[in-house]
Amino acid sequence: MRVALAEDGALFREGLLMLLEAAGHEVVGSTADGDALVELLDTERADVAILDIRMPPGPDGGLVTAERLRALHADMGLLFLSHYAESHYLMRILQIGTESIGYRLKEKVGSVDVLSDTLARIEAGEIVIEPVLAKRLVEHPRGEKKGAVESLSPRELDVLRLMAEGRSNNGIAAQLFVTPKAVEKHIASIFGKLQLPEDATEHHRRVLAVLTYLRAQRDED
Amino acid sequence: MYTPAQWPDDTGAAAPKRAAGNGAPSQPVDLGAAGTRQVVRDHWLRRLRLQRRLHDGASLQISALVPRLGVVRKRLSDDEEGVRLSIDDLQDQLHTVLQELREVSREIYPPLLDQAGLGPALCEFADRVAVPVYVVAPAERFGPEVEGAVYFAVTQCLSLLEAGGSPVEVVLRHDGEGLVVSLDGVPGRHAVQVLSQVQGLGGQVSVAEAPGSGRITVRIPCE
Repeated sequence: MRVALAEDGALFREGLLMLLEAAGHEVVGSTADGDALVELLDTERADVAILDIRMPPGPDGGLVTAERLRALHADMGLLFLSHYAESHYLMRILQIGTESIGYRLKEKVGSVDVLSDTLARIEAGEIVIEPVLAKRLVEHPRGEKKGAVESLSPRELDVLRLMAEGRSNNGIAAQLFVTPKAVEKHIASIFGKLQLPEDATEHHRRVLAVLTYLRAQRDED
Repeated sequence: MYTPAQWPDDTGAAAPKRAAGNGAPSQPVDLGAAGTRQVVRDHWLRRLRLQRRLHDGASLQISALVPRLGVVRKRLSDDEEGVRLSIDDLQDQLHTVLQELREVSREIYPPLLDQAGLGPALCEFADRVAVPVYVVAPAERFGPEVEGAVYFAVTQCLSLLEAGGSPVEVVLRHDGEGLVVSLDGVPGRHAVQVLSQVQGLGGQVSVAEAPGSGRITVRIPCE
């Protein structure tokens, strides 16, 4: 995979570069700030751009840069690596896009396998969210949809939590030790309880289900 | 600023009179409201600097070790499964250390409060407490000392609430003269925790008690 990287911490940038290369990815360039990354991707093509959130330009320059990149290169995946897993940043990331986008803690993509899996899922169009953050969001629903969320069974909540991590039906089935068929049934029930539109595509409804938790919080901003 | 020679005599009544030489009576020195506010401001700025230093220094250096270990792991040959497992374990331990540092950072001065202000920081805290908390806050920024004091006043208060209790509403607004924070659904007995955080900034706390509920209101002068 072709990857570009922007990170202002030189030590972490060097370490991640080495790991990307060890994993067999082609690093088309690495920069210490967002503006330089946008400039680089003017001439180089990348499948996924990896961005730090807290880097120039500005206090959360990674987000500003990602907005520009999404507008310029709609097909390019975006992976945010941050020192913090906060729902505040997740909301802002989901406002940039709900496809081919990811948000993970820096130290949780420290192996070739996890890093490559994260990049591959993003390239395939998925949302990848740091599991600890997805879990916290599902366990603390707030706002208008809270009642609907509370009507879910514990098992349905497990399924929704794994959906929020961006897992496929088979992935969820493997995690919960049930059949993919059972997962489908749970998901249909979740869609029903959350009153999601029936005419939307499966993928779109999955994203809506996850966003249902998050929307209330975003409305409060 | 006061030089040590100007500090009030705080050694108590039994201490010998130092002013005996020139015969002038000893006068107590008062920092005044502006001086006190400056002391409080310095306190919060120091906490903010410490938190940033923890992030820019130790935390980033430790994070950078994790991908490096991943590179070492990738270079191992197939028969070195034991070493691979040791590296996985080391990476897990580094994550635990970083989580601990994040907790400490949050207690010193929450990074999100520094970066995004009271609204986002209080919402994030609300995700971690056992009682449902609704936060309404303007996007406006109030400076590190007011934001720090209000954040810790509110969160210490919320931490005292028992799990499963009724919802709490935290509303912040700027009324032209200062920041007004109301905590709806919080018993008045927790007002002491709130006052201890805000009185150095000239903050005033009032309580309205209703059966089974209550409201604490805080007003802090600011521009």
